[in-house]
Amino acid sequence: MLKLRFIPRKIFIDKECHSMPLTKRVLKNLSQVPTETVSDLQRFLDERRISRDAIRQGKKDLFITSQKGEFIKPCPCTPRYVGCNYFIINLDLNCPLDCTYCILQHYLYDPMLIVHANHEDLWKQLDAFIDKNKGRALRIGTGELGDSLVLDHITENSKDLISYFRGKSPVLFELKTKTVNIQNILETESASNIVISWSLNSPRIARSEEANAPAVEERIDAARRAADKGFFVGFHFDPLIRYPGCEVEYESLIARLFNRISPGKIAWISLGSLRFPPSLKPIIQERFPRTKIIYEEMVKGLDGKLRYFRPSRLDLYKRIIRCIKENGGEKVPLYLCMESDTIWREALGWVPKGKESLESYLSFPLGNSKV
Amino acid sequence: MQETGLLHPPLIALRNGRFIPVSGWKRILACAELSFSPIPVLITEEMDNLKTFLMAFYENLATREFSLLEKAEILARLKRFGEDEKRIIRHYMPLLDIPATLSYLDTYLAFSQFEPEVKKAIHEKNMSFLSVKPLVGFSCRERERLLPLLLPLGQNKRKELLEDILEVSRKNDTPVQKILLSPEIQTIQDSGTLTPLQKADSTRLLLRKKRYPAYSSRQDSFESLLREIDWPDEIAISPSPFFEEEDFTVRFTFNSEEQLKAGLLKLEELSARRDFSKIFKLK
Repeated sequence: MLKLRFIPRKIFIDKECHSMPLTKRVLKNLSQVPTETVSDLQRFLDERRISRDAIRQGKKDLFITSQKGEFIKPCPCTPRYVGCNYFIINLDLNCPLDCTYCILQHYLYDPMLIVHANHEDLWKQLDAFIDKNKGRALRIGTGELGDSLVLDHITENSKDLISYFRGKSPVLFELKTKTVNIQNILETESASNIVISWSLNSPRIARSEEANAPAVEERIDAARRAADKGFFVGFHFDPLIRYPGCEVEYESLIARLFNRISPGKIAWISLGSLRFPPSLKPIIQERFPRTKIIYEEMVKGLDGKLRYFRPSRLDLYKRIIRCIKENGGEKVPLYLCMESDTIWREALGWVPKGKESLESYLSFPLGNSKV
Repeated sequence: MQETGLLHPPLIALRNGRFIPVSGWKRILACAELSFSPIPVLITEEMDNLKTFLMAFYENLATREFSLLEKAEILARLKRFGEDEKRIIRHYMPLLDIPATLSYLDTYLAFSQFEPEVKKAIHEKNMSFLSVKPLVGFSCRERERLLPLLLPLGQNKRKELLEDILEVSRKNDTPVQKILLSPEIQTIQDSGTLTPLQKADSTRLLLRKKRYPAYSSRQDSFESLLREIDWPDEIAISPSPFFEEEDFTVRFTFNSEEQLKAGLLKLEELSARRDFSKIFKLK
């Protein structure tokens, strides 16, 4: 069901958001779904937090409210590892895909699928933010605290965001997804500073750990259609997950990817290995007792998060990078997510110095990459 | 009580024609030991089990701290007597200094189901929540077998052993019982020369190597190299934690210029040795 299009069980609406255009749009797109107005927000959220399997239940209902703070924030990355200087727009929070390794299980306090409806504030904040950073090839995206497109048939946010960012070059805007929910994308005019990207994993991991997301081949097919429409596409092999034989399966996936997508249409590919704070482990154990990914050999990194032992993850990165290059991706910008200087140097042969360095490197779609 | 007599009468309830102590059972036992008879008691006519239990709960809450297992028993009884789960979480758990979440409630309820021998060990060793929590993941038979291994260890090592054996079991789909009965562990357990603490610690280290084979192997190679190059004890050398970075740290203490020079000279001599360079292959 979810592999097609997510339909919430119920829509809760913050009483202050009833008249907002986005609320009306959501209600129009989900006219059959029951609604309830929330007048006492604190009490409502407290009730939701104390319920059995609050995390899973929270992924079934939609809550329309307003973003009280800043929409745009620097990606927190992780202490003592190389950051990629990314900015996130916290537009929708949480995700119904419910992947076993998802950090949102631990990170989000409110167990709800939250849609922020006060878009007027978003546009004002974006105007000010871009103006303040004029001339920089900023990379901004919405796929950090939720999937960028999983609710797109409900919110139609992609249309508004692409319209806003079109012509805002050199700013690069990225929509990051595991879904094939690209109808709105295909109906929207492309722009060279818009990147639609997909998180990819080996089919085995996709089946066992991303069970509610479409199959990897479907994601690649969706990427192909977006590329055919004129968009640049990106791929995130993140989290790379180790298991016996994983290298061969990742290599085979990369070969199939390059068979379908022209390297010239790929804005970037990122790699990141599985990592999570130790406090996420008991949550995964409780919610997904059958998963084995947390029992691979993982040690505490410099940031206190559990990650694969350095030689193991370096080997995996090297094989994947070599495979990407052998399959025609020599010129595709590659970067590592939350990795150390040592790993960057050993795996990619260079280490970004300063925030402008990676920005410049990844501004490939605009044709001004310097590295 | 021998000097003052019974100052505060115990509270008694009547159930099925029998008197049941609600609070003050230690006072009743003390009276029996001191041959005080008869003793004054307060009798409540309350027939509702929850309300009767709350009388005892609040009286004890006001006068003493509850142990880990007492807290578990209180929560279990509140639930058994029909108290609403959300009220248990919101109202009673903060009173017991327990974070008000469903996950904590479930964990404490699981503690209340432990076998009597396990409860006795937890109580006698005054085990903390964090070192008891991993026991929830085991069956009663597994807990029974693990108990002798756990008792000699301190809190942190106990927690480490439990986590490692559980994770090795889950990773390899091998029952905990089978791991404990493996020849390597049996050899340790059957040793006639090792003390219970040494047996427990050797088993813990063995499980650590099974759980972290690549890291353990790298650590062993590092230590073996230090022995090979006869690294002096007075100069400490350590890799980056878990070899996450390529760096090594060297540390020695001195309290005079001579000692400083001697330490630096020793380091220079060590670094000039051909076999010293092997250390950088361990990066």
